[in-house]
Amino acid sequence: MLPPLKPIAMKERISLIFIEYGEIDVLDGAFVVIDKNGVRTHIPIGSIACIMLEPGTRVSHRAAALAARVGTLLVWVGEAGVRLYASGQPGGARSDRLLYQAKLALDDQARLKVVRKMYELRFGEKPPERRSVEQLRGIEGARVKKTYDNLAKQYGVSWKGRRYDPTDWDTSDVPNTCLSAATACLYGITEAAILAAGYAPAVGFIHTGKPLSFVYDIADIVKFETVAPVAFKIAAKAPQQPERVVRLACRDVFRESKLLGKIIPLIEEVLTAGGLEPPYPPKESVPPAIKETEGLGNVGHRH
Amino acid sequence: MLVIVTENVPPRLRGRLAVWLLEIRAGVYIGTPSKRLREFIWNQVLEGVEDGNAVIAWNTNTESGYDFATVGKNRRVPVDFDGLRLVSFLPPDEQSKGP
Repeated sequence: MLPPLKPIAMKERISLIFIEYGEIDVLDGAFVVIDKNGVRTHIPIGSIACIMLEPGTRVSHRAAALAARVGTLLVWVGEAGVRLYASGQPGGARSDRLLYQAKLALDDQARLKVVRKMYELRFGEKPPERRSVEQLRGIEGARVKKTYDNLAKQYGVSWKGRRYDPTDWDTSDVPNTCLSAATACLYGITEAAILAAGYAPAVGFIHTGKPLSFVYDIADIVKFETVAPVAFKIAAKAPQQPERVVRLACRDVFRESKLLGKIIPLIEEVLTAGGLEPPYPPKESVPPAIKETEGLGNVGHRH
Repeated sequence: MLVIVTENVPPRLRGRLAVWLLEIRAGVYIGTPSKRLREFIWNQVLEGVEDGNAVIAWNTNTESGYDFATVGKNRRVPVDFDGLRLVSFLPPDEQSKGP
């Protein structure tokens, strides 16, 4: 008998794959895409952080179960990576991590420290002292606008601001389409990393009130050094299929920046800045009767 | 690291490959040549493959950490997934349509 399947660590994975057409199923225990001609293509699902399923795919129950077992996030996307649903390794595998994250988010002082750390990492310098989260958000907005303007100028793209309508994709201009496609890629792997590290995507510090608030918080830290320049560079060339070219370039930049290896330590670094101790289990709590086995995956993975 | 797998190739090619590489199973060769030597060896395969088929895989600086090339007809054909190379397995009657 083969030993049971287990997830592997995020840093050992390929960032993401888009699947466009076909029936996704399990054959002989492998994750396969079968097209209408019967051609089957194996997807090394356990070695990928995140699978983006585009319109035109059908996923079987067993395929979704296999993805969950190896800790790979499935994201159902619309045109150019507009997210619809996600599944795979649902968050909440580690209550100690979730409570730690919630403790930081609920303590005003700790939250401000985390937010300040996020801005520091993002802009490479400490934000001005004695500012509230709201004030920092205002400063950030202005800086982001300027960064977009600078990138547009640098790559010779005509830029009229970050404008997009998620419900009507085709109304965006090329730079905005490229940027949306690029950020969709980044959000996919960021969510996979947050779940793998055992945290909740919805509990954000700068962003709030959305299912992926924490994903946006973490992705924003690396957005302008990874996917934003890529999007502008491609927008300047105005290719036939900008979204496809953007994805390819995003994968390259994820590899070159070794993002999958860095992103979980980055999450830990940001949260540690809050200066709170992770919560200890209360005295009256009962530890698991059957001890969890050690796996090759990250702490958020269910082994 | 380099791996070459050959199927249905003439014995003289198999003997030739064994000059530089180690044949660990029938038609399966491994070695750690330089890029130049790898291309030289693969050229020998391209010249001598005749009706058989062969595949070469080596480690490189791609996201998957390796790349591969094929020669000759096989039911498994390389496909491009946004720059990531995977393999499609053709159904039996599709074989003649393969590249």
